[in-house]
Amino acid sequence: MLKESVKQVRTTNMEHLSTRLKASGKLDRVVKRSLQVLNIAFYYLVILSLTFVFLYPLLYMVSKSMMQVTDVADATVQWLPKQFSFGNYILAWDSLKFWAGFANSAIISFGSAVLQILSCSLIGYGFARYRFPGYGVCFILLLFTFLVPPQTIVVPLYLFFSDLGWINTHLPFVVPSMFGHGLKGALFVLIFIQFYRGMPKVLEEAARIDGAGAFRTYWKIMFPIAKPAMLIVFLFSVVWHWNDSFEPNTYLTTPDFYNLSQRLAMFYGSNNQAAETMSQMTSGSIGMAPTGLNQVMAACILTILPILILYLFVQRHFVESVERSGIAGE
Amino acid sequence: MKKSKLSMRARYFVEGYSFIGLWLVGFLVFMAVPLGRSLYYSFQDLQVSKGGLLATFVGMEHYRAAFTTDVNFLPLLKSTMVSTVTQVPLILIFSLFCAILLNRGLIGKTFFRGVFFLPVIIASGAILGKLMDQGAANLPIFYNQDLYDKLHNFIPGDILKSLLKYAESLTLVMWDSGVQILIFLAGLQTISVSLYEAAKCDGATAWESFWKITFPMIMPMMLVNTLFSIVSSFTKADNQIMSHILNVVFKNNDFGYGSAMGWIYFVFIFLVLGLVFLLFSKSLGATEGRK
Repeated sequence: MLKESVKQVRTTNMEHLSTRLKASGKLDRVVKRSLQVLNIAFYYLVILSLTFVFLYPLLYMVSKSMMQVTDVADATVQWLPKQFSFGNYILAWDSLKFWAGFANSAIISFGSAVLQILSCSLIGYGFARYRFPGYGVCFILLLFTFLVPPQTIVVPLYLFFSDLGWINTHLPFVVPSMFGHGLKGALFVLIFIQFYRGMPKVLEEAARIDGAGAFRTYWKIMFPIAKPAMLIVFLFSVVWHWNDSFEPNTYLTTPDFYNLSQRLAMFYGSNNQAAETMSQMTSGSIGMAPTGLNQVMAACILTILPILILYLFVQRHFVESVERSGIAGE
Repeated sequence: MKKSKLSMRARYFVEGYSFIGLWLVGFLVFMAVPLGRSLYYSFQDLQVSKGGLLATFVGMEHYRAAFTTDVNFLPLLKSTMVSTVTQVPLILIFSLFCAILLNRGLIGKTFFRGVFFLPVIIASGAILGKLMDQGAANLPIFYNQDLYDKLHNFIPGDILKSLLKYAESLTLVMWDSGVQILIFLAGLQTISVSLYEAAKCDGATAWESFWKITFPMIMPMMLVNTLFSIVSSFTKADNQIMSHILNVVFKNNDFGYGSAMGWIYFVFIFLVLGLVFLLFSKSLGATEGRK
């Protein structure tokens, strides 16, 4: 009884208030405004939490790499170590043999990336502007190349390269890139095709009327304007080559030639074994105690640091390029 | 002016071929010949000897072995398949969601976009393997809140366990979707704003204009992304089939069997991709209105 009457009073109050507000046209505006604010707040909440998820691996690695063993084992230490230490980095730097690994990684990544830009752009232009007999077949073969997993042809390729004496050199990475193949080469050709298709033909026609040949037109007019596509291909190629372990593991077999990610895998392996024997010896009482976790994370950071720095510089242009180059296609 | 012996038409063809000639040569050397050779090897038993490889013909033996005697191959194939089938739809939904979020004009747009591509750089290859082994590839929220104990009262244990496992793999899904987000984002930018304005004039809600405008318009990128996600999940560094084949080839020196498995895997991927094409071929249609 009482409850109901209270409820009634409340509703009449509310009605009264709302009619008064409505009368002045305020309610609509208030509701609208507060909904808008809520909407924006919710939006930022979602995007910020997603940002956290995306930054999490990096934050995790940085945080752990600065810790000392006591901090890693200490459950009260979540993100900020009690004592910052850079010793892990020095240790990781030495056992990765950073410069040697970096040199290998850099030759493979940057060498292939530059060559893939040159070759894939040329090929992409050919596919975008010319319709020759057999065009359809070639295009299907291009798509096919994209889909063939490298595992399927690894055996004959390995034998082929070893016949040529290319094992433990950088040639198995660089030479296919020269021909528009190599790691994800077909995808890069497709990106250039998309870009060149989107360019107006008038540009080339003007050059042709001025007497430039086909190749000259391409090189002077069409290649330089493909900067957005180039940037995309460059970054993708560098990053994928840098992180790839399948082909390096196949073609670079002695530790001297290991690139950074291979060295990292090795570094980790030895650490992990130590941890495992440790936990076996203590009959699992250490359990998941991550022995050497901090060092491993420091090694991780060192491994990706070069491309992180690269990304820092090109990031802004990169995302714009993706939007402008029509990478998404039709 | 120098008179060309070739007709205009023939010269045009020659120009075309000379542009893609490089690729054709590369295709023959680095794709066609190796593919042919690996098919040939898959029917042979290869022995490494001093004079090179000794091949003896064994017919379908390797293929039969893959399906009958190899205890690892089929389970690995199955687990690869399961993870692909479960993760690709998740990647698609999630990356579309992120792309739509990022497509709105907001403060710090460039920063957010940069961050969303970051895992492509960080969380791939050796680094991801490392994070996974440390358990850092799962966000701690699912553990920390004792979700299992709390939900156990409402949901039977087995289902809950698999559900939580699924939820845990979400972070991996998110980190895997950097490229896809970019592709969707680029796609969203090509939809002309006037379409949304027209729909708004006609009284469409945001929900309606998503399903009637954005979704059909983004369909081609959906196909691109599906293909990309499938291919990349089949060739990812932590793919176990891949390491199994590598082990067989380079640790056991069993080139023939490795080739055969490579081919089975390849045919398998093609079947999956064919299925996707079939599914998409119907829904790819009305995409006019693009800029």
